[in-house]
Amino acid sequence: MRTLEVIELIRKGNLSVEEHTHKVLEEAKTVNKEYHYFNVIAEEQALVRAKELDAQIKKGKKTGKLLGIPISVKDAICVKGVESTAGSRILEGYIPPFNATAVQRCLDEGAVVIGKTAQDEFGFGGFSVNVGVGFQVPKNPFDVTRATGGSSGGCAGFTQKTKHAHLSLGESTGGSIVAPASFCGVVGLCPTYGRVSRYGLMDYANSLDKIGPMAKTIEEAALLFEVIAGHDDRESTTLAQPAERYTSYIKKPLKGMKLGIVKEAFAKGNDPAVEKHVRDGIGRLEKEGAVCEDVSLKLAIKYGISAYYLVATSEASTNLAKYCGMRYGKHDKLEGSFNEYFTKVRSANFGEEAKRRIMLGTFARMAGYRDAYYLKALRVRSLIIQEYKKLFKTYDALVTPTMPMLPPTFSEIAKLTPLQHYLADIMTVSPNLAGLPHLNMPCGMEKGLPVGMLLTADHLQEGKLVQLGSWLEGRGGGA
Amino acid sequence: MTFTTDVVIGLEIHVQLDTKTKLFCGCPTKGSADAEKPNTRTCPTCLGFPGSKPVLNKKAVEYALRLCMALGCELSPKLIFSRKSYFYPDLAKNYQISQYEIPLGLKGTLRLGDGMVVGITRVHMEEDPASLVHPSGTGSSAYVLADYNRSGIPLCEVVTEPDMHGPEQAREFMNRLMTVLSYLDIFDEKTCVIKADANISIKESGYVRSEIKNITGFREIERALFYEVERQKIAARSGEKFIQDTRGWDAERGLTFRMRVKETEADYGYILDPDLVVTEMTPAWLKQVKGSMPELAEDKIKRYVEKHKIAQLDAEVIAQERKLAELFEKVAKEVNPVLAAKWMRRELVRVMNFNKQTFDDLKLDEKHLIELLSMVEKKEITDQVAQKLLEEMVVKPFSPRPNVEKHGLKRVADTGALQKVCEDVIDENKSVVEEYLAGKEKSFQFLVGQVMRKTKGAASPQDVNGLLKRLLGGKAGG
Repeated sequence: MRTLEVIELIRKGNLSVEEHTHKVLEEAKTVNKEYHYFNVIAEEQALVRAKELDAQIKKGKKTGKLLGIPISVKDAICVKGVESTAGSRILEGYIPPFNATAVQRCLDEGAVVIGKTAQDEFGFGGFSVNVGVGFQVPKNPFDVTRATGGSSGGCAGFTQKTKHAHLSLGESTGGSIVAPASFCGVVGLCPTYGRVSRYGLMDYANSLDKIGPMAKTIEEAALLFEVIAGHDDRESTTLAQPAERYTSYIKKPLKGMKLGIVKEAFAKGNDPAVEKHVRDGIGRLEKEGAVCEDVSLKLAIKYGISAYYLVATSEASTNLAKYCGMRYGKHDKLEGSFNEYFTKVRSANFGEEAKRRIMLGTFARMAGYRDAYYLKALRVRSLIIQEYKKLFKTYDALVTPTMPMLPPTFSEIAKLTPLQHYLADIMTVSPNLAGLPHLNMPCGMEKGLPVGMLLTADHLQEGKLVQLGSWLEGRGGGA
Repeated sequence: MTFTTDVVIGLEIHVQLDTKTKLFCGCPTKGSADAEKPNTRTCPTCLGFPGSKPVLNKKAVEYALRLCMALGCELSPKLIFSRKSYFYPDLAKNYQISQYEIPLGLKGTLRLGDGMVVGITRVHMEEDPASLVHPSGTGSSAYVLADYNRSGIPLCEVVTEPDMHGPEQAREFMNRLMTVLSYLDIFDEKTCVIKADANISIKESGYVRSEIKNITGFREIERALFYEVERQKIAARSGEKFIQDTRGWDAERGLTFRMRVKETEADYGYILDPDLVVTEMTPAWLKQVKGSMPELAEDKIKRYVEKHKIAQLDAEVIAQERKLAELFEKVAKEVNPVLAAKWMRRELVRVMNFNKQTFDDLKLDEKHLIELLSMVEKKEITDQVAQKLLEEMVVKPFSPRPNVEKHGLKRVADTGALQKVCEDVIDENKSVVEEYLAGKEKSFQFLVGQVMRKTKGAASPQDVNGLLKRLLGGKAGG
């Protein structure tokens, strides 16, 4: 049953929040045994919260755009009172004393947090296989031998798998919302940088991180997005412009809209089945009146990945410095000097990919290399933004496949070199680098596996993405 | 840079800004109680908790801008913060939010008393780290405790050119800087801490530099500099090989010690802080800050000399001490400014120094001071009486006029009365008079002293001199 219908039932008193929450929790526990979508299922807190809401509803307080709706939250997003580790053992046992703004806004609208979802450690990956030491890898809801995509893999997997009304808060740095959404056949909307407050998000790369909604349908994603979007006094990079009613864009006619089909993204090397389904999707949008033209994004495709990894790892390597076993998270026996102590804690508790990115980032910002790597990457980033901005003078949105392949198997992933691993993000990295809103819409099924289309719009044009996405609804993903 | 002087000193001074809240969070910068508990003025942001984010305190920027303006710096049109990365247990995030490529202010100056100008390389903003507590002394504790109450307090770092040629000059620089800070109302001497790193080298070594890190407090900075100059001179005399190094200051033992040999510059891996947006220094904002600037010492000196015709030195001494200047300006409205300046800069400061009083704990009532100096101005009391009264008034305040009347301290203006006293003294000291008449000048001073004693200083020495000379001259003639 769809979220909006469930909210209506709850509002009318035909369904209790506790009952619905209970159902979803039971399902989550069962599913988790095989699929590992949750790092923590916050059963106790969720049921307490559900009872509180029921009591309020009885007293007549029935407002709230998400009244009684269970939400799962990516582990990197802080939830007060619930262990939040960003999927890393170094934060084992850390219970945040505050809610992330996005979480708080959902709670203020009547939502119930049911748990923290699996992810690549601190978001460092595109398949959710780079989980922290001691964590389980989430499995694709269509085929357990395949990956969910990452890094918001737990969000996407459970969103697909659940039979109940449920929404999910994901987070993207270089594609971590749309990539798993594509592999799991769900809707994932990554907003404009600064549109949703990052307050309470454990940072991967602060100039790139964005919290966004994941859901079965575009309407539900738009609803969740309405709730979390907007300025936040506690987060300096949030934008001042007021959020819009994004749900009002659903099924707005496409006549007069111009789409740019990115040539470079339909080149050799893509899985032909992916291309076929994305072309089908484009055809549907054309049928609704959108005009499509081929465009080129040379710079973004050529330099996006390099610039992204330099900026992201430079920032990440400073963000992760705070995890030293001193104030929170994993501690060790106090021995040796401070240097020896934190080295021991970090060596034992960061995963391989976290260590790799710390080293890459530290190197890129060292004196002597800083100009050639970190600062040059910042300049390239500006040029890529300009390249996009030029296209958005003519086009309302750009279209590519989200991922160039079908969800890969774990054994295929194991054969990838780190560079091949990074290259899988080729379509998703550039919109992230440019801070542009982008949307994964499921657009077809191939061999029982979902294919996703990526739509990218100009800054703050999430409305257009919702509008376009609503005409692609119901095409694959089994949602 | 080529140096020629015996000693070369450059300073990096960290000034805690006296804002109500910290630089990037709403925690108070000061505790309410004297014996404050550690880690009570903290929040997720200044503890560096995962997910916390900094939000810039605009007031701190305004304070820093005032300092830049007072030092005549070129102002950056944009305020940009960077992350300075290094692992240290006092750093909540293991990076410090600081400024790197583009500091708030560049190329300022501060003029010393002898007209020498010390160049200011840059002024930038940053956050203070936590304080580390060594339970049984630095170096000998098995563990340290971290107190994050200080974490995130706004700092302004002032970096000078290596323009100072000795610890005395460095002290004067610090004095002048303190004056500027005091006028700007951005630094509270009682609660805010000033720290410095000092670069020192001497000619004999070919100017191989030692950097003394983290000297806390105004007086310690001077002590450390004196020590280090002497240490280097002795080392040079004994033929020691000089290596550029970083040293610590042990205030208890009063010496510097080598911490590490500096082979290369520390690599802090600076990146822009992506949690903070670039803040535009709009003309309107700068104008508003400029409008809030008080009159500074330099301007006051000029005004005192030009408008009030006060001696340059008096003007300088008064203007360098904000509270003295404020008191002076009140007194000068009621009393002749030249007289007021002379009395306040010489007598008042002397008496205060003697009693080890500072302007912060000076009890002297300005009304009483005005009363006293008015009496001096009108020649109602002599300078001697006024000095004595001032000495007492500084220790325990009272209104001087009733006191003068009660104790009969009014200047003996009546020549008849004074002549009577002089005649008495001559009669009572015949042998001394004779000695004087025989040519012994000292005896005359004795007689003057006797008259002064009898009048309790209420007679002016000039009057007494004249009268005695006349009376004794008459005698000699008879």
